[in-house]
Amino acid sequence: MLFRVENLTHQYSDGTLALKDISLTVDKGERIALLGTNGSGKTTLLNHFNGILKPTAGNIHFEDKPLKYDTKSLLNLRKRVGFVFQDPNDQLFAPTVKQDVAFGPLNLGYTIETVKKLVDEALTTVGMTEYANKPPHFLSGGQKKRVALAGVLAMQPEVIIMDEPTSSLDPIATSDILHLLLQLNKEKGISLVLATHDVDIVPLFADKLYILNKGKIVSEGTPKTSFSNTELIRKVNLRSPRIAHLFEVLKKENNLPIADELPLTISEARREILRLIAEVCKETKNSV
Amino acid sequence: MSHSDLYVEVDRSAYTNALAESSPITKTFFALSALFLCVSALSARAFIVPIILFIICTSLTLGIAKVKPHLYLDMYAYPTLMIILSCTIIALFFGVGEPLTQINLQWTTWTIYKNGVTMAINIFLSVMGSLSCLFFLVLTTSITDLSLLLRRVHIPTVLIELSILIYRYIFMFMEISHTMTTAQKLRLGGNSWLKKIREVSLLAGNLFIRTLEQGERTFVAMNARGYDGNIYALEEFPKPKKTMLAAIILFDVLIVAVIFLTLNSGVI
Repeated sequence: MLFRVENLTHQYSDGTLALKDISLTVDKGERIALLGTNGSGKTTLLNHFNGILKPTAGNIHFEDKPLKYDTKSLLNLRKRVGFVFQDPNDQLFAPTVKQDVAFGPLNLGYTIETVKKLVDEALTTVGMTEYANKPPHFLSGGQKKRVALAGVLAMQPEVIIMDEPTSSLDPIATSDILHLLLQLNKEKGISLVLATHDVDIVPLFADKLYILNKGKIVSEGTPKTSFSNTELIRKVNLRSPRIAHLFEVLKKENNLPIADELPLTISEARREILRLIAEVCKETKNSV
Repeated sequence: MSHSDLYVEVDRSAYTNALAESSPITKTFFALSALFLCVSALSARAFIVPIILFIICTSLTLGIAKVKPHLYLDMYAYPTLMIILSCTIIALFFGVGEPLTQINLQWTTWTIYKNGVTMAINIFLSVMGSLSCLFFLVLTTSITDLSLLLRRVHIPTVLIELSILIYRYIFMFMEISHTMTTAQKLRLGGNSWLKKIREVSLLAGNLFIRTLEQGERTFVAMNARGYDGNIYALEEFPKPKKTMLAAIILFDVLIVAVIFLTLNSGVI
């Protein structure tokens, strides 16, 4: 068990109660999605994982030990828990891409040779090696996001936390980043925690889904079980993935015999449609 | 992407010119020594020297570093205009001693002194030559390299770190202020002078707040990657070739010789 959050409550200094009584776990190798509308508390919750924010009440444990907030403990935590911010402009501050990616490893005290190696590896992983000596303002949004990710990868974290990784990315860039994250999870065993309000990417990526609404967790489970509860999804001002919505309508309005757990991806939809067609053919054959 | 203001083009040139990968030590040594000699030639009134340096630096910038002539001319535009105006005034109204010509006006005699014309010509040539040395440096060396160089020379790290961060955020905030100004214009702002002043002040206030907020966010992001108060350097720029440095020293010695040979030759 990597992270254990118990009854976490967070109140901002202006009195806003951003998180109420949140409990969740993050296990090694898991891919977790936090889904919620704007203002549901996703970013606030994420900021607790690497010690940017402290709980007002409740506690958060990393490897069964409560988080400590002195400089040394925070540095050790942030070495193992990397955080990619929503706006790469907040994260990229150095004059060149290479120097920015080197920032993390240099702060961890590695030798220059090690740092250079880590930087090269990280840039190769995200596919930005040709841009190593360019300044950040020459890059497009998707490229900046990749460099921000490289900056975190170079610190060799065990957990990567990403705040809205696909917001403001075009379809190709979105799919590229998701592929990259899945690859990192499979090949290097890096656990992933993503906050997003993009409903359609959740089934492609997450094996555990928490839905947040107004600072509370309203649903916990796999994407399949969570998205089948279409009433809840609507109540918290989200929408189902397009495919699930389509099958929900077919089920309700056209009374088609669709499984209880709605298909979420194109391949699941395809299977379900072929199954339905096969059943209809069988019935027609039987009735003849 | 940044649009094409002059400073953006200069920055781009510093990264994309043919001499971008050369040692910044060589380039800085050459440019600063040439600059120093150009300015000394002014007091020595050896007017050939600035012309020689101008030709050499411009050829290096346009020929070897392959900077676009368009950009070079753009950089020269305003300074040249200013220096022509200033030198004309100096030539026409300044100086003492031996007169060049005298023009009789109704209310006074207007004397143009040889002294003044000498000063004007020498200042003009010296400024154009010095600018060429400076432009060579600025167009071929990036701020990153320059700040690494400063670090080597033991300038306090605080100043260097400040300059690194300021450099990055100048671009961002110029972009933001441009966007905000455009947004104002699209809502038909700026019809009258007073309105314009008000809009600029609103923009400046808002921008100031945004810079404060951005500073906060960047600080949090740096902390999340283990920032402990020191920005360590990934120092790696190419070592200067000893032959190049020797060549530059030789060049400087030659120029000094030329100065001595043509001492006071720029006197009318």
